[in-house]
Amino acid sequence: MDTVVKPQYNDGVIKAFALASIVFLVLGTIFGTYAASELAWPFLNFDIAEITFGRLRVIHTNAVIYAFGANVLMATGFYIVQRTSGRPLFSNALAWVQFVALQAGLLLAVISLALGMLQGKEYHELEWPLDLAVALVWVMFTFNFVMTIAMRDKEKVPHIYVANWFFLGMMIMITYLWVVNGLSVPVSLFRSYSMFGGVQDAMIQWWWGHNAVGFFLTAGFLGIMYYFVPKQAQRPIYSYRLSVVHFWALMFGYVWLGSHHLQYTALPDWVGSLGAVISLAMIIPSWGGALNGMLTLSGAWDRLRTDYILRFLIMSLAFYAMSTFEGPVMSAKTVNALSHYTDWTVGHVHSGALGWVAMVSIGAVYHMTMKLWKTEMYSMSLINFHFWLATIGTVFYIVGMWVSGIMQGLMWRAYDEYGTLAYTFAESVSAMHPYYAMRAVGGALFTLGAIIMLYNMVMTIRMAGSRQAAVAHA
Amino acid sequence: MNKIETYLYTDWAALTAQDWGGMLLTIAVFIAMAIAFFYALRPKNAKMLEEQRMMPLRDE
Repeated sequence: MDTVVKPQYNDGVIKAFALASIVFLVLGTIFGTYAASELAWPFLNFDIAEITFGRLRVIHTNAVIYAFGANVLMATGFYIVQRTSGRPLFSNALAWVQFVALQAGLLLAVISLALGMLQGKEYHELEWPLDLAVALVWVMFTFNFVMTIAMRDKEKVPHIYVANWFFLGMMIMITYLWVVNGLSVPVSLFRSYSMFGGVQDAMIQWWWGHNAVGFFLTAGFLGIMYYFVPKQAQRPIYSYRLSVVHFWALMFGYVWLGSHHLQYTALPDWVGSLGAVISLAMIIPSWGGALNGMLTLSGAWDRLRTDYILRFLIMSLAFYAMSTFEGPVMSAKTVNALSHYTDWTVGHVHSGALGWVAMVSIGAVYHMTMKLWKTEMYSMSLINFHFWLATIGTVFYIVGMWVSGIMQGLMWRAYDEYGTLAYTFAESVSAMHPYYAMRAVGGALFTLGAIIMLYNMVMTIRMAGSRQAAVAHA
Repeated sequence: MNKIETYLYTDWAALTAQDWGGMLLTIAVFIAMAIAFFYALRPKNAKMLEEQRMMPLRDE
C-alpha cells in the first residue's frame, strides 16, 4: 500500500495569478499594437490626450511588465517553491492579499498613467503612492517565498533547487534597485521629484533600467525556464553545475551593465566602456544558460514535432540566446553610435520581450493550466496555431525594427559634400512608415495569438469544471 | 613613462574614501565570484551538484 502522503499545495491563488497574467497579456499587447499603429497612422490618436502615443506607450510597458510579467512570476514562483520545497505556502492568506493588492494597484496604475500622472523615469513611471504600493506587494511576495523555503522539512528536502535561486536573486535585487531609483521628494499626492540630479540621475535610472531587464525580465524568467523546461521535457536539466555557474555569473555581472545606455553623454567615458566590456563578457554565461536549457532535449528533439508547449519553451531559449548576443554588440561604442536612439533598440527589446519573456511564460502557463485544473487542454491544435502566430508575429516585429533602425541611424548621420546633413529629420520619419506598418502587423499577430490562448485557457477551465461537476453528480 | 605606463598610471593619493570603498567592494565581489565558480566547477562537487538535476521530476 502506498503510504506516501502528498503535500496539499495552495493552488487556488496560483490559478488566479495565472489567469490574470493571460488577461493582461491580451490587454498589454492590444495597448502596444494600438500604440504602434498610431506611429504608422497618427490619426488613430483622435486627439484624445489619454490615448496619445506618449501615454499609451507607458500604459503598454507597465501592463506587459508589471501586469503580465509580475502575475506570471507570482504564479510560477508560488508553483515552483511549493513543489520544490515539498510543502504549501507559508501563508495562503498573504498570497491572496498580494493578489488582490496587485490587481487593484494595476487598475490604479492604468488610470493614473492615462491621466498623465507619472515620474519621468523609464519602467519606473508610477507616482510615489503607487510606487510605494508596488514595493509593498513585492515585499509580501518575497517574504512568503523565503518563508516557504525556510519552513521546508530540511531532512526530506535538504537542497534548494536552482530555479528558486533565480527567483531569490530577482527578489533581493529588484527590491534594492526599485527603492534606490524611486527615492524622490513628494510635493503633492501625485507629484514628486527625483532625489538625484543631472548625470547622477541618469546613471541611477539606467542602473535600475537595465537591471529591471536583467533581474525582473531575465533572472525571474530563467527560474521559470530551469523548472518548466525539464518538467515539460520530462528530462533533467542538461547540467546542474552549469546552472549554478549561470546563476552566479548573472548575479555578479548584470549590475555593471546599466552605463552602456549612456554612451556619448555627460557620463565619464570609462564608465560607459566598463558597461560595454562587462556586457560583452555576459554573452558567455547567457549562452551557457541557453544551451543548458536546449541541450536538456538531447536525444529527444523529436518531441518538438508533437509537443507544442515544449516548442514555446525551446523557441524562447533561441530568442534568449539571440537577444543576449545582440544587446552586448549594441552596447559596444562603435555599434552604439549607429544604433542608439533608433528603432533598432525597440526591435532588440522586443526580441527579448516577445521572443524570450512572453514565450517562456506562455509555455509555463500552458503547462500549469493542465496541472492545476487536472485536465488536458481544450485544444492542442490551437496551441500549435498560437505558437506560429507568436513566432511569425515576433519575427515581423523585430525584422521591421532592425531595418527601420539601421536606416534611421544611417540617415541621421549621412552628410553631403559640404558637411551638412543629407536628410532632414522629417525625411527619416517618412522613410520609417512601411516598417512601422510592418511592426503593427507583427504586434497584431502576436496579440491574436494571446487572444487564442485566453480562449483556449477559459474553455479548458470550463471543461475541467463541468467534468468535476459530472463526477460529483455521479 | 611609456604609453602603457601612462595609461595605467594611478594617482593613489588623490583617491577619495568613496573611491577606496568602491575599489575594495569590487575586489571583494571578484573574489566572491571566483569562489562561487571554483565551488561549482570543482570535480569533487560534481556528483553532489548533479544529483539535484532530478528535483523537478520527482516533486509531484
